[in-house]
Amino acid sequence: MKRPRIITAFCIIGYLSVIFTFPQVFSPAIKKLGLFVPAIFGVLVAAYFIACVGLWHFKKWGAELYLISFFSKTFFYLIIRDTGISFYFGIVAAFIFSIILIRYYPKMDKNL
Amino acid sequence: MFLVLLKESLIFAWQSLVSNKLRSFLSLLGITIGIFAIILVFTIVDGLENNIRGSIQSLGNNVVYIQKWPWTFGPDYPWWKYINRPTPKYYELDELQKRCKTTQAIAYRLGARKTIKYKSNSIKNASVAGISYEFYKIKNFDLSDGRYFTQNEIEAGYAVVIIGANIAAGLFPNQDPVGKEIIIGGRKANVIGVIKKEGESLLGISFDYQAITPFNFARYIIDTKSENSDPTIYVKAKNNISNIEMMDELTGLMRAIRKIKPIAEPNFALNETSLLSKGFDSLFEIIGIAGWIIGGFSILVGGFGIANIMFVSVKERTNLIGIQKSLGAKNIFILIQFLGESVLLSFIGGFFGLLLTYIITILGKDAVGMDIGLTGTNIILGFTISILIGIISGFIPAYSASQLDPVEAIRTN
Repeated sequence: MKRPRIITAFCIIGYLSVIFTFPQVFSPAIKKLGLFVPAIFGVLVAAYFIACVGLWHFKKWGAELYLISFFSKTFFYLIIRDTGISFYFGIVAAFIFSIILIRYYPKMDKNL
Repeated sequence: MFLVLLKESLIFAWQSLVSNKLRSFLSLLGITIGIFAIILVFTIVDGLENNIRGSIQSLGNNVVYIQKWPWTFGPDYPWWKYINRPTPKYYELDELQKRCKTTQAIAYRLGARKTIKYKSNSIKNASVAGISYEFYKIKNFDLSDGRYFTQNEIEAGYAVVIIGANIAAGLFPNQDPVGKEIIIGGRKANVIGVIKKEGESLLGISFDYQAITPFNFARYIIDTKSENSDPTIYVKAKNNISNIEMMDELTGLMRAIRKIKPIAEPNFALNETSLLSKGFDSLFEIIGIAGWIIGGFSILVGGFGIANIMFVSVKERTNLIGIQKSLGAKNIFILIQFLGESVLLSFIGGFFGLLLTYIITILGKDAVGMDIGLTGTNIILGFTISILIGIISGFIPAYSASQLDPVEAIRTN
């Protein structure tokens, strides 16, 4: 099945957000939180990026990885107590998108 | 099984990197420069911060400075409000010592730049300070030789002096300074002690180039009325007393001593080291963000370089991928093979970037004389960034390689 437009739009937003989020991995604010915090945050950013690639190819593993990375990232932000307006906005947006993903999930390709 | 797959993929990746040496070198150069830029900036900022914070720490956490000028920062400093204030006087120290109940120690200090001579050796512009007896309870310094002043020497203004390590080295090369007579600002004084070497400090807070004398002796060589002598009363709180509590008492006492009316503004400043720390916090934040932006762009460029080279690599080895797949290689094997190549490339780039940073810090340490070192945090950060950039920039080419149709891939020229 061809990739729906909503997922295309989401993937583009996802790629752009990775470009802006990646520099945060080595930002002074994240760095001062702890020795391995940048590495953990970096893994989450990379997982989110890979999930976007998977969704671009309309793969089931992309949707699964997206949900895992979304929950992990939310948990991470809660731990570091970075819960500003953008955090709540991100949760709402990701929640809406998760519902869309679940709707399309049965139609996605299960192969790598 | 996965480990065998990973090992084989990495061997393939390594062979590919070795067979295209120049291309591999040029693409890892981007990451090397990126990691070098960002980690070097972080290392320098960390070094500066540690040095300055160490210097501030040496001033004492629970010490309050009674001075004319407050330690506030910013463009709107109302200097006109403070210019006509009187400087702290020695008699105010006596009054405070009599009346203060929350203090552990109170000391007075003023200073000036003077020439110190011993026979044909001399040191120009050395910092000479006149102090009261309890100064040693407030400022932390160790003596490498000799002793501290007695209370009698301080009160009677004996011509005795304790000198810093660099002054001792400059005036008395290969000699013991204790017991020798030196000339400070035209007056003779006996050296009774030498302060242990402290090293360079960015804030200039070091006893290495200082000579300390009793206040009642220093008043003959230092103009006590001059504001340039920076007269200061140092007050240290008792162990169980907070600075706020002590400052409340000091404010009341100073107002009483100076006979300031209840509605009038105080004509003295109570300064704390936390004020200095706050001033530097914003400075380090700005430097850190600047370094982050510069390094971020370098890394981004390096990442695009890796992605570009990986696309070329996939294109070049398309028929090889076709052969591998037709022989039974799974998609995941091809994916890991190319992803491994990209991660390996940026990891090596990151390693050289860190190595370069290490060399620069070693050279810089000798040149600047400041304690700058590559920290564990920065090493982990460097490797994390390089591995991440390898994954992010190599995933799309690797995934597109893994999705190739074996028949069409073999046909490709």
